[in-house]
Amino acid sequence: MSVIIKTTNLTKIYGNQKSVDHVNMTVNQGEIYGFLGRNGAGKTTTIRMLVGLIKPSHGQIEIFGENLFTHQKEILRRIGSIVEVPGFYENLTSRENLLINAKIMGIHKKNAIEETLELVGLQDETKKLVGKYSLGMKQRLGIARALLHYPELLILDEPTNGLDPIGIKEMRRLIKALVQERKITIFISSHILSEIEQLADCVGIIHEGKLLEEIAFDNLRKINRKYLEFQVSNDNKAAMLLENHFNIYDYEVHGEGNIRVYSHLGQQGHINKVFVQHDIEVVKIALSEDRLEDYFTKLVGGGHIG
Amino acid sequence: MVDLLYTELLKLKRSKMFLLSILGAVVAPFMVVVSTYIQIKTKESALSVPFAELFYETNLYVVLLIGVPLYGVVTAYLFNREYAEDTLKNLLTIPVSRTSILLSKMLLLFMWIMLLTLVAWGLTLLLGLLGQFQGLSTSLLVKSIKQFLIAGAFLFILSTPIILITIVLKNYVPTIILAISITLVNVMSFNSEHRGLIPWTAAFDIANDTLFPTYPAEYSYLVITATSIIGFIATIVYFRKADIH
Repeated sequence: MSVIIKTTNLTKIYGNQKSVDHVNMTVNQGEIYGFLGRNGAGKTTTIRMLVGLIKPSHGQIEIFGENLFTHQKEILRRIGSIVEVPGFYENLTSRENLLINAKIMGIHKKNAIEETLELVGLQDETKKLVGKYSLGMKQRLGIARALLHYPELLILDEPTNGLDPIGIKEMRRLIKALVQERKITIFISSHILSEIEQLADCVGIIHEGKLLEEIAFDNLRKINRKYLEFQVSNDNKAAMLLENHFNIYDYEVHGEGNIRVYSHLGQQGHINKVFVQHDIEVVKIALSEDRLEDYFTKLVGGGHIG
Repeated sequence: MVDLLYTELLKLKRSKMFLLSILGAVVAPFMVVVSTYIQIKTKESALSVPFAELFYETNLYVVLLIGVPLYGVVTAYLFNREYAEDTLKNLLTIPVSRTSILLSKMLLLFMWIMLLTLVAWGLTLLLGLLGQFQGLSTSLLVKSIKQFLIAGAFLFILSTPIILITIVLKNYVPTIILAISITLVNVMSFNSEHRGLIPWTAAFDIANDTLFPTYPAEYSYLVITATSIIGFIATIVYFRKADIH
């Protein structure tokens, strides 16, 4: 499997702030790469560097095995992209907007515009001015524009932003169809974990400009940890007992009275007995598994993604 | 470049700015001819204003008063709309070279300015004929259209600082303020013997062959060339290097 995008120590500094900090990222051919991070984590800045809109302060970008800065024109011809909300000439129709791209890119194939509009389901809206389009329609038109020249790599920056649930579902269906039908590699950013989870083969997690993790979803599911969850009346006392009585240090306190123990998984009965003997009321005992959301929350140091 | 120019023209389809600019270009000839006509008709003395005077006055108002702000707004519209409508990022990732984008827009700006110049000249002619002004001849037509077109070309050449301000500040307001400031300078300096050193008044004088002998003509050409080239180079350098957010 060949590497499509490779960044080496990619960094962007604005004033004293590192928006993107030494990001080393690898995107393989044919995969959907989810680029996950909270708002302001550095996703859009990274994407803008990938498509040559802003120049990195340090580091290198290789796309299709070539240096982006020395082969920008050739590389960009093989990429389709949407950066944030796609902008259009609102006094023109969808067809006229796409015609601008087709003319500049030298696309002479007859019906290329109509075919692409049909692919995104806008074939019946070609006479309407884009200024009258809904956000969802504009996002679909943005995808049509990005696909017009049959790119090998599609870079999508939060394509479901502002869409209603049906629009999000349609977008997801479209992205999956593109991978299956056109064999395109897709790099998609989002701050919504469930979006990435449903689409991506691999996820890169960015937080405060740093790429914290880059992992295939299959591997991620394997490493999710099981734990014993206790809901107790006194978590401080319970924690002390875990350490002193059972020599357990691999545990976490989650909120009021909630303790997760990651070792001694078969000994919930014994632990419960000791808690009760020490006047700790045990309301709940459960054997649980880390959800992906918990994993990401731990990785970015608390709070929720998004 | 032909394809880029075609796309620039396509972007103007259904745009109200084109009609508005035509309306703006109509103001100077309309005001000059109508006010002159009213003046003649209301004075008891047999005041005679030749056709040549109409062309001169209209060109004066176009170059020094109306032209700079009007063409400034057109310039701001052409160059700022890619930022305002967030379409620049699409153009640059297609990809198109940044210099080509600038040059195609400048070419369209030139065509637009010349068209508005011709509208002003044509309306002066039409209204002058309707008002039955005297002294129209083929040589006057040729001379006046030449003067209008030269002045229009100079206004285009001098648009580079306005383009620079539009691209750097990405807003219509600073561009309009700059255009109004230039107009004020034009008005203030028009009666000065040093007006040959002000690029816009010098442009008018060169077009009409009315340069003062205070300074050699080369000084006026130098001032115009320097203003234009500095603006052009600064625009190219800035636009090629600027991050697009």
